[in-house]
Amino acid sequence: MSLYESEDPDMTTDLDTPPPAPPAGGDPAPPLGPWRRALRGLASSPAAVLSGLGILLIVLAMALAPAYAKYVAKTDPFRSGLSAKIMIDGTRVPVMQRSTEGLGLGVTPIGPTWGPQYFLGADNQGRDVAARFLYGGQNSLFIAGAATLLCLACAALVGIVAGYAGGAIDAVLSNLIDMIWAFPVYLLAISLSIVMLGKSFDFGPIHLSSSSLILPIVIIGLVYVPYVARPVRGRVIAITNSEFVLAARALGIRPSRILWRHILPNVATTLIVFAPMLMALNIVTESSLSFLSVGVQAPNASWGTILQDGQALLYSRPVVSMAPGIAIMVTVMLLNLFGDVLRDILDPKSVRGR
Amino acid sequence: MIPKLSPERVARRAATALALAALAGFGPTLAQAEGDHRGGTLRLVSVSSQGTLDPHINYTSQFWQLYAFLYDGLVGFKKVGGADSKEVVPDLAEAMPVISNDGKTYTFTLRKGIKFSDGSDMTATDVLASFQRIFKVLGPTAGTFYNGIVGADTCLAEPAGCTLDGGVIIDEAAGTVTINLTAADPEFLFKLSAPHASILPSETTPKDNGNEPIPGTGAYMVKSYDANNSMVIVRNPAFKEWSKDAQPDGYVDEIDYTFGGTEEAAVNAIMNGQADWMFDTPPADRLAELSTTAPDQIHLSPLAAWWYAPMNVNLAPFDDVRVRQALNYAIDRDALVSLFGGPALAQPVCQVLPPEFPGHEDQCIYTQDPGTSWSAPDMEKAQALVDESGTKGAKITVVTEDNAASRGIGTYLQSVLSDLGYDAAVQTISGDIQFTYIQNTNNKVQLSISQWYADYPAASNFLNVLFGCDSFHPGSDASINISGMCDQEIDARMKAAIALGATDQAAADKDWAKIDAAVMEKSPALPLFTPQQVDLLSTRVGNYQFSSLHHWLIANAWVQ
Amino acid sequence: MLAAMLSRLARMVVVMLGISILTFLIFFATPGADPAARIAGRNAAPETVAAVRHDFGLDQPIWVQYGAMMRKMFITGDLTSFVNRGEKIVPTLRAAAPVTLSLVAGAAVLWMALGALTGILAAATRGRWPDKMLMGLSMMAVAMPVFWVGEMVNLITQSRLHNTWAFSWVPPLGYVPFTESPLRWALALVFPWLTLAFLYIGLYGRMLRTGIIETYQEDYIRTARAKGLTARRVLLKHATRSAIIPVVIMFGMDFGVLVGGAAVLTEVVFGLNGVGRLTYQALKVLDLPMIMASVLYASFFVVLANAIVDLLCILIDPRMRRK
Repeated sequence: MSLYESEDPDMTTDLDTPPPAPPAGGDPAPPLGPWRRALRGLASSPAAVLSGLGILLIVLAMALAPAYAKYVAKTDPFRSGLSAKIMIDGTRVPVMQRSTEGLGLGVTPIGPTWGPQYFLGADNQGRDVAARFLYGGQNSLFIAGAATLLCLACAALVGIVAGYAGGAIDAVLSNLIDMIWAFPVYLLAISLSIVMLGKSFDFGPIHLSSSSLILPIVIIGLVYVPYVARPVRGRVIAITNSEFVLAARALGIRPSRILWRHILPNVATTLIVFAPMLMALNIVTESSLSFLSVGVQAPNASWGTILQDGQALLYSRPVVSMAPGIAIMVTVMLLNLFGDVLRDILDPKSVRGR
Repeated sequence: MIPKLSPERVARRAATALALAALAGFGPTLAQAEGDHRGGTLRLVSVSSQGTLDPHINYTSQFWQLYAFLYDGLVGFKKVGGADSKEVVPDLAEAMPVISNDGKTYTFTLRKGIKFSDGSDMTATDVLASFQRIFKVLGPTAGTFYNGIVGADTCLAEPAGCTLDGGVIIDEAAGTVTINLTAADPEFLFKLSAPHASILPSETTPKDNGNEPIPGTGAYMVKSYDANNSMVIVRNPAFKEWSKDAQPDGYVDEIDYTFGGTEEAAVNAIMNGQADWMFDTPPADRLAELSTTAPDQIHLSPLAAWWYAPMNVNLAPFDDVRVRQALNYAIDRDALVSLFGGPALAQPVCQVLPPEFPGHEDQCIYTQDPGTSWSAPDMEKAQALVDESGTKGAKITVVTEDNAASRGIGTYLQSVLSDLGYDAAVQTISGDIQFTYIQNTNNKVQLSISQWYADYPAASNFLNVLFGCDSFHPGSDASINISGMCDQEIDARMKAAIALGATDQAAADKDWAKIDAAVMEKSPALPLFTPQQVDLLSTRVGNYQFSSLHHWLIANAWVQ
Repeated sequence: MLAAMLSRLARMVVVMLGISILTFLIFFATPGADPAARIAGRNAAPETVAAVRHDFGLDQPIWVQYGAMMRKMFITGDLTSFVNRGEKIVPTLRAAAPVTLSLVAGAAVLWMALGALTGILAAATRGRWPDKMLMGLSMMAVAMPVFWVGEMVNLITQSRLHNTWAFSWVPPLGYVPFTESPLRWALALVFPWLTLAFLYIGLYGRMLRTGIIETYQEDYIRTARAKGLTARRVLLKHATRSAIIPVVIMFGMDFGVLVGGAAVLTEVVFGLNGVGRLTYQALKVLDLPMIMASVLYASFFVVLANAIVDLLCILIDPRMRRK
């Protein structure tokens, strides 16, 4: 599936290369927890600070969407405005411009005005692209973020259980991971979106409606579980097989204590390293799913759906698909940059202080 | 070492090679049709093919367009452009049939000397076998077009042993075919003109022949077909023109149909002179550019089609006629036309029968000044009706197809519904699945976007099919009456109009106009617009003709 | 070793069986997926729909249908599509495979060559501007949705700048078989290759650079440098050689996945009738036989690549083996 097209082998190296040996000297507990180590390292890296600020800036800008729509663009970006008109240089211009030359075919939405209204022009429904772009960013970031958390939680659970329990449980889980990895994600996505159509699911207190963002979150979140679960499992196996854990076991230390003191901190490191990269990957995946009309439903927007809207306007108004495309690119780059630094700090094998 | 060629040199080489190939394709001896125009190769492109080549099964406009010059029925639609294309002319039959027995018996006399492309003669036996085959292969229209033939009921129940005893009677020696119907059917000749009633060799296997071409009697034959790549169509060596109206000899020697690419790519290829025509509609964002840069290459033709939004009359809130009427008043048809590419491409309508269709009379009640045509939405009236119905705040989901136009309309309707005070949402499903999904009552679809294209020019093909009680099958995926409207009074009037058509078509058409109005009164659907067919041709294609049933008549066009 | 291979093989079969059953179940659990009415045609009579249902065996218990489908796919090879009636699945897939292979193989050559160049150059100039520039570009490459890149490429090469000297040679979208004309084959694939490879050049370049820099820290490299080997020799001979192992492993996996049809969106955007596009079209119309065949085909390559990679891992690092 295309989802694999965007895979980031930086993660897969972890996945398939042998996990790093536990800290040398058999020190049973690292001096600092991964969180504190990460924070300290990040603060001292200009790249991390800059990319972190960039991400924060993007999130803030997206959070301002309602204010932008209300006070700057003065439009409702979720309402079709096919017969809307705006003032440009003192004349009233229709937003949807009908071709008057030649055979008079085609209706072209207004292009970027670079003014407060229709800054980036209008889409096929005559809606303000800039306002939708900001709202869309909210959804894209939310979906990607929530999917990341879901993915990390599932992966940690599966990876630890498989790696620590071993035997039959490991075999079953490993097969399951392989299956998810090779499974046609789009089939699942399309099928789920039809199943959910017009219905709402109720599992006890959880209420899911078809237009909610839960569907893309669940799909995207599950797709990459194998990606993270495999390296987690590998690391857990390496640690449980390491001499100091074997020694600790021989000394009669309780398994729960081994899990708590040795395995979890290591797994946490892996998860933290993965988080920003996974988030980046999820943003790209969200746009791919929208390409198939699975995910955020009209009139709501995400960067992916705006890309899709822009596809129908590619030749006349390329800016509609360029804006979300560039936004995705910048966000993903910043996340990856941040993730790189994080990885350098937390991964004992990597080089520090370049 | 390969000598380095500049792009221009490469292009010139290719051009020479092409010219040579073209020369080899037609010799001067073959030039018999209108002089210089005969010969050459047409290059058609389409994003995808449409499955089986079997003319008894395929039910797509893309391949029906090809069957026009590949196969023949006993009768057929006239292969000319314009309004005359709706006329039925004798094809494999010598003349129009003799109709007797109160319109229940049709007697045809076959032309002599017609051969299939494999060289064998076309005889009455082939005709009988072909009619049996319609049922044996479970043809899509077997139970709707040809169920009136005597013996069809047993064929439908047990397709494998279909004989049509007493239904289709042949006299091999005299070359006659007699078809008996259980009841008079004024539309039967139209149904016989459909490709599903093509006459094929009697030895054709009685099951879906898939991608293997079946020999036909048309001017051309399929030489090779790879559904995922290309189709090559060449002249039928056994063909001699017997009727220019029914099956004209074509101009081009070969038709190469390529499947793949994207719509954008097809437009680019035509504009760059690399292809001659695209099946798919040019993407909306290219139309403005094309209509100024290449106005001579674009042909617009009216389609016997209807874009509409069926409302489920059995589900809240659309079980209240006021809600349905309110939505009909509220939609801005001018905005919908904008979504489809402007007034040159779509005409706003507020009735079922498309313009210039039998039974059509201009009428519009859902507009600001009710009369013959639509002018503007009437929001006040709509709002009043919604208030009256007390359904404000109800949840409504619009189910649209997965393409730009359908999604656009769905999004617009969502916006209108919100304005009227409903809690509306849009859900998009892949086109193929959407069509059966919205038909099945189990899926509880309230509002959806759909289209209907006429199979033949008769009012019943719209009104009776889309809103008749007979096409409503609760719980089935095949229930084309998507609105689920079954009004006994209107249904009886439709049946009467069909019967009247057997004797007095003009009077029947007047009745159909009244039925059209009566249906719209009940408002089971939102009429949106009538689309125009857009054909984009390369500069070298001449003699464009558009038939309302076969669309662009490919065999009538020339490339030199 | 043999035991490990055998157990991996068994796992492969289990995974493929599981995937096929899951696909089957999901299909039949999806409302509107029932193909009978779609096969029968629009406005078909109820009798016709029923007859089609019977003819295609859709009225039989689900496990019988599953068995029949597997038999038709693997033994008789006459599985036909539910949507494009009469289209035989196995030959169609076989015909599409060379397209995908052409796309992926060409792109792979590009990304391995350019990726290696990027990685080595960046590692050699670590911290200086060529490194920073290359890594910036790589990061950009990784950050763009591939279908978007493809669309932008098409917009420029097929329309906006098609009539300029730079892109007038670009043929229309579509695939030309190698046997028909090697030159036109290559020309038609240039931009799809570049688009698909772009992402992987970025990925592999970054990975190789990290690997090389990491191996620089290893003891034996320090020894080599202490022994007085030139920097270039150390870089190319020792550091690169050991850093390339994970890259090669990665390559195995990516190549497997892509040959299996993972280049869906690249194929769709460039209109190449490969396995990926077939899968995409089948999914859009929920054509179960085609979905099933392409899913199994893809999963075969994915699982195979995984198995090879796993075996390689065990060979390289015995610690991965369970004690």
